[in-house]
Amino acid sequence: MTTELYLKLTQFYQDYAASIDLEEWDSWFNMFTDDCIYKIQSRENYDRDLPMAALSLEGKGMLKDRIYGVTETIFHDPYMQKHVVSAPRVISSSEDFIDAQANYSVFRTKNDGIAEVFNVGRYVDRFVIDGDSLLLQSRVCVFDNDMILNSLIYPI
Amino acid sequence: MNNQELLSETEWKFDDTSKIPFWAYTNKGIYEKELKNIFYKKHWCYVGLEAEIPEPGDFKRTVIGERSVIMVRNEQGEIHVVENICAHRGMRFCRKKHGNAQSFVCPYHQWNYTLEGDLQGVPFRRGVKQDGQVKGGMPKDFKPKEHGLTQLKVAQRGGVVFASFDHDVESFEDFLGPEMLHYFDRMFNGRKLKVLGYNKQRIPGNWKLMMENIKDPYHPGLLHTWFVTFGLWRADNRSELKMDEHYRHAAMISTRGSGGKNEQTTNVSSFKEEMQLNDPRFLDVQPEEWWDGPTAVMMTVFPSVILQQQVNSVSTRHIQPNGNGSFDFVWTHFGYEDDTPELTERRLRQANLFGPAGFVSADDGEVIEFSQEGFEAKKDYQTLVELGGRDIEHTDHMVSETLIRGMYDYWRKQMGV
Amino acid sequence: MSNSWIPVANQEDLIEDDVIGINVNGHPVALYLIDGEVFATDNVCTHGQALLSDGFVEDGEIECPLHQGKFCIKSGKAMCAPLTEDIKTYETSLDGEKILVRFE
Repeated sequence: MTTELYLKLTQFYQDYAASIDLEEWDSWFNMFTDDCIYKIQSRENYDRDLPMAALSLEGKGMLKDRIYGVTETIFHDPYMQKHVVSAPRVISSSEDFIDAQANYSVFRTKNDGIAEVFNVGRYVDRFVIDGDSLLLQSRVCVFDNDMILNSLIYPI
Repeated sequence: MNNQELLSETEWKFDDTSKIPFWAYTNKGIYEKELKNIFYKKHWCYVGLEAEIPEPGDFKRTVIGERSVIMVRNEQGEIHVVENICAHRGMRFCRKKHGNAQSFVCPYHQWNYTLEGDLQGVPFRRGVKQDGQVKGGMPKDFKPKEHGLTQLKVAQRGGVVFASFDHDVESFEDFLGPEMLHYFDRMFNGRKLKVLGYNKQRIPGNWKLMMENIKDPYHPGLLHTWFVTFGLWRADNRSELKMDEHYRHAAMISTRGSGGKNEQTTNVSSFKEEMQLNDPRFLDVQPEEWWDGPTAVMMTVFPSVILQQQVNSVSTRHIQPNGNGSFDFVWTHFGYEDDTPELTERRLRQANLFGPAGFVSADDGEVIEFSQEGFEAKKDYQTLVELGGRDIEHTDHMVSETLIRGMYDYWRKQMGV
Repeated sequence: MSNSWIPVANQEDLIEDDVIGINVNGHPVALYLIDGEVFATDNVCTHGQALLSDGFVEDGEIECPLHQGKFCIKSGKAMCAPLTEDIKTYETSLDGEKILVRFE
């Protein structure tokens, strides 16, 4: 893998985190391929090969539907997210694909102004190299803290 | 303040259960009494599914009330439930969430138990040999038989496992009563279950609020606007509310009409009528033979579990209280061993509606948290559950809070308040 | 020490109806004297990592001090839970005062 591509990958991880933290949802789902997989899955299920996930979306349509739910229909306490994402660890790469992983932690701050650790895990990713840009074909957010603090609304 | 003093603040000042005092949710003495009188006595509590421990030696650690218990399959294939407390120094010795074992060993002093909970070994029970003498050890009259793990009574039906600390508890069938048993058997009709996985959430509210949520057919069309937006909820859907004779368990049974977006969606609210899902597979329902009519049956088995069938999504939702103001809510999604891969896909896709991130469940946890906030700050106030009258009766529509009134009628008897 | 008789102790070291632990070229062995007859087994229990020589002899069985698993001293057979594996036994013989154990 070229240094240039690695930098692009690193930038992608940071852009992704920023899109979610800033609630720029269009830019979020445009980081995925049309036939993407997006899951938020507890490590317990992931490690035991159990398919259930807290959220399991297939294709951009479902990602859009999720955002509609998040912004329009699901009642929830407002909160902000801040993602801290590690440097990516490249597992393998070819001309067309990159398999990479990165650790993340998400802090949640509600209107009471108190920040708490909300979700801690690892992105397990497959990227498609599409000309000059990268797109996520699959992202599984595998989280260690399988007891979710009440509800999980926004993407991670 | 001790519990006795706390309990003195708890007087039921109303004629019936159409009002519920906030202290029922906030009082620590009441909560302790609930554990003692309800979770640990006279009731069967959910522990898991047989399919979670398919092989001899397989175990799963779980909870009844606040007590840690282990559901385990022994060499003969029988399921036992033992308490996770060493008979010696009281340690919760089992730390794994699940696994396979030949025996249970407390790491502190290596007291060793069979999978059924019988004490089989105590290190240096007979003392140590030193200079030709035997020193120390347990007294001569120490009887291992008397120092096993606490063994619970176990009931299995249709692949579901319940347990009770109370060995005098009535049979599981009597506990459910014939009407509830009918709906239980509908979902667990003997077909082998296949575990799809877990979702877990900690909800900072009183555990009863979750029971009430599933005894409240008034809220889905109002709180869960997702249902209404996409034409899934109609106030005129065929529906029934049923209870056992003690009013402790209940079933909300509904049958989705053939109507949908093209007919009048709801008489509650009909905003955003033009909305369509980008991906309708969330709601791609495949009717199943065993439904026998209803498209959704939500059962509350008091006090520990909710049994969910919402079209193709089936799960158990285990209530694990940890204080008067908080409980863990553990969802076990499953299917049946003879499901086609396509049906499994449907169950998994529709699961996006449920759980801590679910389109129509995430909001339940939120409202429970903020109800509890309301209660904590105003302990001498009360909630109002008069919808559909003040009586307790089987009902054939959704605009009633009769099931909540019923549960509190039963609760008061168990609690002596 | 393969397939050979090795002197491991003297008769006077043994106590009737009891067990002692010895070390034969780094290998822990338990020696028993039951009704005047000498027996030998491995000394480390097949279950936990305890020495049987710290245990108790009763009715021809050795009870491990750690979890009270019992082996038949003569045959090495595991008699009860939590044991799942028999313990290895060795042939013994006497050469005057000396006790010999046969290792294969």
